[in-house]
Amino acid sequence: MKEYKIVGKGLPRVDGPAKATGKAGYTVDVHLPGMLYGKILRSPYPHARIISIDTGEAEKLPGVKGIVTGKELHNVRYAFVDTPRYPADEQPLAVDRVRYIGDEVAVVAAESEAIAEKAVELIKVEYEILPPVFKAEEAMKEGAPLIHDEQLEGTSSWEQWGVAQKKKSGEAKSGANNISGHSRVSYGDVEQGFKEADYIREDVFDLKATAHCPMEPHAAVANFDAVSGTLHVWLSTQGIFLKRFFLSKTLKIPTAKIRVHHTYVGGAFGGKIDLFPYEYCAAYLAMKIKRPVKIELDREEVFMTTRQRHPMTITVKTGLKKDGAILAQDIRVIADNGGYRGSGPVVVFLCHGFSYPIYNIPNYRYEGFSVYTNNPIRGPQRGHGAPQIRFSLDSHIDLIARDLGLDPVEMMLKNVRVQGDVLPNGDVLNSCGLSECIEGAARAIGWKEKRRQFSTAEGDGRYRRGVGISVCSMFSGAMYYPFASSAVVKLHDDGSATLFTGAQDIGQGSYTTLSQVLAEELGICLEDVHVVAGDTDLCPIDLGSFLSGTALVTGSAVKMAAADARRQVLEGAAELLGVDDINELDTREKKIFARKEPERYVTFQQAIQTGVLRKGNPVIGIGYYKGYDKTDRYPSLAKGKGLFTGAYGFAAQAAEVEVDTWTGKVRLVKAVTFHDCGYPLNKTIVEGQIHGCASMGAGQALSEEIYLQKGQLFNPSFLTYRLPISTDTPESVEGIVASLEPSGPFGAKEVGEGSVAGILGAIANAVHDATGVRIKSLPITPDKLLPALLEVLV
Amino acid sequence: MMMKKNIHLEINGEIKDLTVDVNRTLLEVLREDLNLTGTKKGCNQGECGACTVLLDGKPVSSCSLLAVKADGKSIFTVEGLAPEGQLHPIQQTFNEKGAIQCGFCTPGMILVTKQLLDSNPSPDEQEIKEAISGNICRCTGYVQIIDAIKALSDVTKK
Amino acid sequence: MHLPEFNYYEPHSLDEAVECLNEGQRGAVVAGGTDLVVALKQRLQKPGFLLSLDKIPSLKGIKSSNEFLSLGAMTTLEEIIKSSLIKERFPALSKAAREVGSPLLRNIATIGGNICLNSRCRFYNQSAFWRSANDLCYKAGGITCHVTKRKNYCASTFCADIPPVLLAYGAVVKLVGPQGERTIMLKDFYTGEGRFPNEIMAGSREILTEVTIPFPPAELKSTYYKFRLRDSIDFPLIGVAVAFEADEKGRCKGIRLVFTGVGSGPFEFRHAGEMLSGSELKEELVAQVAERAAGEIHPLKTDLISPRYKREVAKVIIKEAIMEAGGGR
Ligand SMILES: Cc1cc2nc3c(=O)[nH]c(=O)nc-3n(C[C@H](O)[C@H](O)[C@H](O)COP(=O)(O)OP(=O)(O)OC[C@H]3O[C@@H](n4cnc5c(N)ncnc54)[C@H](O)[C@@H]3O)c2cc1C
Ligand code: SF4
Ligand code: FES
Ligand code: FES
Repeated sequence: MKEYKIVGKGLPRVDGPAKATGKAGYTVDVHLPGMLYGKILRSPYPHARIISIDTGEAEKLPGVKGIVTGKELHNVRYAFVDTPRYPADEQPLAVDRVRYIGDEVAVVAAESEAIAEKAVELIKVEYEILPPVFKAEEAMKEGAPLIHDEQLEGTSSWEQWGVAQKKKSGEAKSGANNISGHSRVSYGDVEQGFKEADYIREDVFDLKATAHCPMEPHAAVANFDAVSGTLHVWLSTQGIFLKRFFLSKTLKIPTAKIRVHHTYVGGAFGGKIDLFPYEYCAAYLAMKIKRPVKIELDREEVFMTTRQRHPMTITVKTGLKKDGAILAQDIRVIADNGGYRGSGPVVVFLCHGFSYPIYNIPNYRYEGFSVYTNNPIRGPQRGHGAPQIRFSLDSHIDLIARDLGLDPVEMMLKNVRVQGDVLPNGDVLNSCGLSECIEGAARAIGWKEKRRQFSTAEGDGRYRRGVGISVCSMFSGAMYYPFASSAVVKLHDDGSATLFTGAQDIGQGSYTTLSQVLAEELGICLEDVHVVAGDTDLCPIDLGSFLSGTALVTGSAVKMAAADARRQVLEGAAELLGVDDINELDTREKKIFARKEPERYVTFQQAIQTGVLRKGNPVIGIGYYKGYDKTDRYPSLAKGKGLFTGAYGFAAQAAEVEVDTWTGKVRLVKAVTFHDCGYPLNKTIVEGQIHGCASMGAGQALSEEIYLQKGQLFNPSFLTYRLPISTDTPESVEGIVASLEPSGPFGAKEVGEGSVAGILGAIANAVHDATGVRIKSLPITPDKLLPALLEVLV
Repeated sequence: MMMKKNIHLEINGEIKDLTVDVNRTLLEVLREDLNLTGTKKGCNQGECGACTVLLDGKPVSSCSLLAVKADGKSIFTVEGLAPEGQLHPIQQTFNEKGAIQCGFCTPGMILVTKQLLDSNPSPDEQEIKEAISGNICRCTGYVQIIDAIKALSDVTKK
Repeated sequence: MHLPEFNYYEPHSLDEAVECLNEGQRGAVVAGGTDLVVALKQRLQKPGFLLSLDKIPSLKGIKSSNEFLSLGAMTTLEEIIKSSLIKERFPALSKAAREVGSPLLRNIATIGGNICLNSRCRFYNQSAFWRSANDLCYKAGGITCHVTKRKNYCASTFCADIPPVLLAYGAVVKLVGPQGERTIMLKDFYTGEGRFPNEIMAGSREILTEVTIPFPPAELKSTYYKFRLRDSIDFPLIGVAVAFEADEKGRCKGIRLVFTGVGSGPFEFRHAGEMLSGSELKEELVAQVAERAAGEIHPLKTDLISPRYKREVAKVIIKEAIMEAGGGR
């Protein structure tokens, strides 16, 4: 791996001091003079018609400044997915019908949060209860209650971007049989493949909903400047431009009249992308009352109403040759997206997107449905489909390997894709370290020795150990509004630089890694970079920090901007040094020198000052990068056609577990992740992403579960929704595979999302290895495992 | 009218006399009246440790503590750790070791660490894990936080 | 969620405190408040006033005489953990205190609050909004229990960690109220009813001031086993305290087994003595005790874990705990 001065080093985060001292301002910390506090009244019923709403008593409460109900906003619609086929189905406040427990019904703004809470309790709503449906399979049946029978216009938020405007005739009406999204992809001839197979196996897996649990609750502050007509907002979000776009669409004000201000984000994990009713309501109330309004959700509201990971049932059937070569695979996914579409059509597409880049399967068929139910709404959570599909596929592979008497590691290596492979949709794997990842992870977990040692260990001990492995992949950015990222680098006359970026640091460290890219390219020190971010007025457009595109897409834009600035500085320096060709110059530590005579140099400061004095050029570098240069729109979710991403990140993860066969408790002893992130821009940060992913994955494998009964969430708290705590921390080993992605800055691509997914299957496989018991549904709670153990072990 | 009470307490070394509504938590008073927003609210029910402050030197969840109950006590928040513009060694080491990601759990983690090292300068791994076991971090998986505390304990040992 | 409105009294003596209790409206005693503050935010209680015990010096601290150890109700769990006397003579108490909630709670949580802890249920310990999705259950002021579907009955689960240990040691508690002072066996403090699990919650308008335990004979061995899914923060799914006394040959002279997490109050399994007395603690015999004890507990689905699972785990921890107390492990 090439050594650089600044990138690749584990330098401390640039936002570390602000965060360590408590000075970093999060949205929950924003306080404006005269600020009002909003609180939302929510539906306690999973499915009901609103007959009437009486706000009279609440309005009389001293300190109440405004109450809004759905009637006032009946024509406002928006959604994460908004296409002619899948028209937007969400409204900020329910107009005449509520579809899940927690659905927004009214909002109050008052002088204090306590008053707003009281006022909410005083609002009387009369409901007519409607028959609910809570299981996706039942919701799809003929005769099930229809959750969205409204006729929605097939318009799209994206029409001015040239994205399909009209529904094509013959397209199925969305919402029939409660189906909210459908993906179908196939290539080769699956039936023929099965015919030729020596061996066929089918398994069904299911996974419960999980929650993101960012430690900072969701919050929004809005303030309307009536003089200029500008709406100012502070949001805890992953993408400032996407939020601005949605606010502009829904509030019907020009994007340039909305300014999203910078705040730090206390974790997001996919749960802070969608436009949420509380955000719209804060903005709407601020415009209506002409005072700043803040809405901060309670933890319970965060659990119930800000999206969850899709629960899924996944059926996989695979046909193979005796030697373990996969001939054919048929996958069927049913995802429950709750009362509104959320990211349903996207996640059933992504389950395909994260399935097919791994194994090279000649005959393949995939079908996925997302389905409306009266459960909470589901959206992207770290990996967005990857945890579910990877758990299922690699549990399945492990089972097959057992049946065939093969070593799963060897079976994986036999079937995985390699660099240079062209995927059926046309995506090219220009970098792919999948095999190295698998080999590395197997080595680090002690695969050969431990597997043998554990499986031949005495059979009656209380504690048993086992090892397992799984692999995963993730996009490095994809096409979504605003379809590209850009960056501006402004140099100061002391030689330091300010980076203007619209990418959000949600904890993943992008301010630091982007600053490193800038410093490296320009030839200055990391301390010389200031970051201005998170502000839609100050910063150039950016995709936002989701779909793992920040390192590759924004990183490339920053690198280009820095190169642009560098060229301008070199022109100034060339003149001073009397060099004709700027290519003969190099930069380091804010100095510019001729390669041939490094002792002759000018400082950045001198070069910039010269530039200003001679030409008036203060040096501003501009860079931009599009997720994928070969396409100008996102792929077809329904058919999986079109290019998906410029580069795939890969990982292999292995787990060693210890099962207490008397209580069914599983302890994750060791977690290994080998991640092909292209190139680690910051080693410490990459490792941190890997540890964080592994921990979240372990939680999803063993304890995290949204517990629902008739649409009611029984564990909306950290006491009962069991996140991993410090005492659950395994020995965590990470290996970085640097496959050097040609399109990425210094070779970097995705890290921080993919490796949540492999640990699930690794743990399930390890539990099987330890005990002989296969659990096909997550999480593997002691309550689930113990009865299975009792059956097998006694 | 909500009943109020005068309380006398020391916050980050400064003596304060405050009048507070008796139904407010220490967390609310710190954040809203004293603008000490480094103390965070993650759950508001004593389940996550984001609101950790040191009460007479011991870490407690300020969201579950009535402000009136802090009367006569000393409170220490993250803002009191180092003079403006400087970093305490714990803050420095947390940052160097990658123990900070989104930063929302960080003030609480740092205060618990301070108390741990004050009372036990060289804790072993198990003691470290137990000390921070009431503080939830969603970002780091705790690995680098534990590393940072280990590094600090090594420093204290020398 | 903000706290509701209430008055706040902070008496400096017990007498003053008792006077406050005599007020017309209902109030609630607040000790550390780690449980009460959450209950108030969730509107599980709506007391007219809170009576703080913070400023009453006589309720603080650990005292010992030749025969007894007395703990003021306001003694924090951290103080109990720190006490070397308790660690040495009452190891089960030390262990139980160390496993309550998380370190952040133990620094303010008191033993009095732990003894007086309300019982819990998945339908009850939720926000007011959450509960409004269903009819009020019996404990919340309605008629029918959502867990058992029975009327005027509550099966909520007692899950405080310390009381089983205190019961195993034969503790007594002192209660002070307008009617004066009384000292009762701790076991008589509990009603076994889910809705009002103890005397005070059943309306006695008293303050628990002190808990006293006799120093056990040196031969008495004790321990507490707590089973929870995570090693911190979580309440016990089930916990068992064991006090075991052996004769000089190591045979069982007497044994007490007390549970938490299995019913609406602490539960003592009374047959362990007859099954074990005079015998050495052989693994097989202990397993029989565990089997039988587990058969006598009737956990209900007041939690997110299945009753069947609780029983299976009960067998394991009972066996472990007895073996440990008996020196078998
Ligand atoms: C996240 C979390 C986890 C927890 N985990 C556990 C656990 O694992 N095990 C466990 O046992 N508990 C647990 N608890 C509950 C609680 O923290 C402890 O039981 C604690 O010991 C209660 O003491 P306190 O002083 O804070 O009580 P408070 O909250 O002050 O009081 C609790 C109840 O007792 C009454 N009361 C208190 N003192 C007296 C008195 N002297 N006289 C009369 N009535 C009184 C109060 O009115 C109230 O009803 C947990 C709580 C939380 C929030
Ligand atoms: S056991 Fe029944 S009555 Fe008691 S709290 Fe639970 S639902 Fe209510
Ligand atoms: S906010 Fe206080 S413990 Fe979570
Ligand atoms: S750093 Fe984000 S919660 Fe700990």
